[in-house]
Amino acid sequence: MSSLKRHDGELTIDHRASPGLTPEQARSVGLPGAPLGEGTSTGFATVSCSHCGGVWIVNPYRTRERPYCKVCDHYICDPCKAVSLQPGYVHRTIEDLTNMICSGNWRIAGGPASNPILVPNTPET
Amino acid sequence: MAKRLFNNTNWTPSAQADAGALSSGSYMALKGGSGTQRMDVLEVYLHGMAAASAVTPTCLARASTIETTPTALAAPATDGPEDPSTAALAAPPVSFTAAATGPQRSAATSDARLNLGINAFGGSFRWNAAPTQQWVILGNTAQLGETLLSSQNTGAPGAVGAHILYEPY
Repeated sequence: MSSLKRHDGELTIDHRASPGLTPEQARSVGLPGAPLGEGTSTGFATVSCSHCGGVWIVNPYRTRERPYCKVCDHYICDPCKAVSLQPGYVHRTIEDLTNMICSGNWRIAGGPASNPILVPNTPET
Repeated sequence: MAKRLFNNTNWTPSAQADAGALSSGSYMALKGGSGTQRMDVLEVYLHGMAAASAVTPTCLARASTIETTPTALAAPATDGPEDPSTAALAAPPVSFTAAATGPQRSAATSDARLNLGINAFGGSFRWNAAPTQQWVILGNTAQLGETLLSSQNTGAPGAVGAHILYEPY
């Protein structure tokens, strides 16, 4: 069984020639606990969501379960997991969504990326 | 299709709140060229150019409100194919750094955001997607259809240079 680590992207924040960020500043930019001080070069893993096509930095301090889709065999994001638990949910990956949009039969009419509003394109009369 | 590089240098991603129109020159935006276009963002690189310490909390985020009348790119910003033999696209992607009314960065907690903060006094970052794990832009309407590289509303960002490597289909 292959590891889900194969899906990881890479983020490198390089402060080897910079005063870097203090722990408080790192927290303020959304990277709490990361060693981003002077002289550091820090690597982070990123995870993409197979449902909405977004990307997140993996939080190594997370203790809650990381959402996973058994259908895709892929990590998904928290909002997409919440959507997948709603009644009447239809499983749809970003590839499925791409095929629907590119077919010309559907268009996106707003809504968040995890639950876009799809409207059928009616043929012109 | 063909990979393209959207580049801009010596711009300042000023700290601005979510869900407010971003001011011209303070962001790099990518939007689909048509309602059926998909683009994959493969890499984002940003390096600081500030002359003094400057906490610069840039992020890659979706747009909740699309801009009006994007301004055509002007030097030093560029956007072109990596391969010189690339054929012209029927619906070229829309890359811009200014508009009559700027796009708004999504404040929705359900939208993806990649935090990419650095100290712009000598700091840099590079994000690469794993193969088939790209950041996806789909169509040309909110919120999947436009992505912004801009600064969150904290700190005092300094000047930076950046490029976005992407592939339109």
